[in-house]
Amino acid sequence: MNKTINQKAWYFVIPVFVLVAFNAAIPLMTVVNYSFQETFGNNVFAWEGTRWFKQILLSERFHASLGRQFAFTFIILLIQIPLGIAIALTMPKKGWGVPVCLILMSMPLLIPWNVVGAMWNIFALPDIGFLGHTLNSVGFDYNFTQQPGDAWFTTILMDVWHWTSLVVLLSYAGLNSIQPAYYQAAEIDGASRWATFRYIELPKMKKVLTLAILLRFMDSFMIYTEPFVLTGGGPGNTTAFLSIDLVKMALGQFDLGPAAAMSLIYFFIVLLVCWIFYNLMMKNEAKS
Amino acid sequence: MFTKLYAATWGDVGKAKEKGFFDFDLFSWMAWTWQTAAFFIFIALCIIVMLIWEKKVPGGSPRKGILGLDTTRGDRLFVSLLGSAFIHLAWLGLVGSLLWIASIICVAYFIVVFKYV
Repeated sequence: MNKTINQKAWYFVIPVFVLVAFNAAIPLMTVVNYSFQETFGNNVFAWEGTRWFKQILLSERFHASLGRQFAFTFIILLIQIPLGIAIALTMPKKGWGVPVCLILMSMPLLIPWNVVGAMWNIFALPDIGFLGHTLNSVGFDYNFTQQPGDAWFTTILMDVWHWTSLVVLLSYAGLNSIQPAYYQAAEIDGASRWATFRYIELPKMKKVLTLAILLRFMDSFMIYTEPFVLTGGGPGNTTAFLSIDLVKMALGQFDLGPAAAMSLIYFFIVLLVCWIFYNLMMKNEAKS
Repeated sequence: MFTKLYAATWGDVGKAKEKGFFDFDLFSWMAWTWQTAAFFIFIALCIIVMLIWEKKVPGGSPRKGILGLDTTRGDRLFVSLLGSAFIHLAWLGLVGSLLWIASIICVAYFIVVFKYV
């Protein structure tokens, strides 16, 4: 019997198509249009060609915020991935400890981002905040609103607190999917704890870890709300990451053209990194 | 939208605009110019060509290219377009003028990607 070919189901995709058009395609097209023009509002635009792209590509300010962004992302990945794996390894595999640990771990993930920022802002205030006051009373000269180093320290600590759980949960899922037979074989061979980790657990977690790195990279690369509430990009511009700098340019200065050009460059970087990670994941998939 | 076939210049700033057929308020904020419209028409044409190509030769001709990646036609288009964006940006940042030379490099890049990647 021949199957009848019926492609009418495609019509059901139309609502999604319309939605994506309105929340992604049309705004993106507008950004492209703005990036080639100058405006003072009132829907009057003047053609500027590639001037804004040139300006952004050569601007010290963009280089600085891009550099800060990469530094931030690199540092939090360097902390969160090993820390997440370490916590996942120490979490219980059965018994009442499992739900307790899982719930404790998911708590930070459930808190809205601006609340995380506000919490850490108050927590770290040098005069009344628990963290800030304690650090100052034991002799550290800590003030995240005035010292760039302290601002970075607090921002990174906040991100580690907020997002390490994601790495933990993913690694834990990866660890739980390893068959006990592997561990038994390792035990028979007299493998050390490190060898078990290096040759059994780590390879088995490779897939989820790639995913964790991708998610953490993207989220931290586009981070806005938490540092905006915590430091507002300050002191000065020292914690103005890409998105904070972008909003400053677009809404603070109303430089829509340069901001549009900057967001497109930002977008291309994100796309490139996504593509690289996607291919890495697909390679892993094909191998296993 | 296309009431004037050239984009506004500094001389037009502050002057009252002639209202064209497409210049309703829902639309004018998008600030279309023929250059950017041409760009998006080019992207749309690329996608249409890909659709026709897929109809003619189904399957997307998957292969393992020089980068060691499993790619289909769609992947190659994506790599070409994204790479072209970076080639243009690099040209703007490093050279700064005569952007059409970068566009010619991109055409060569497209051909290389579709042949070997």
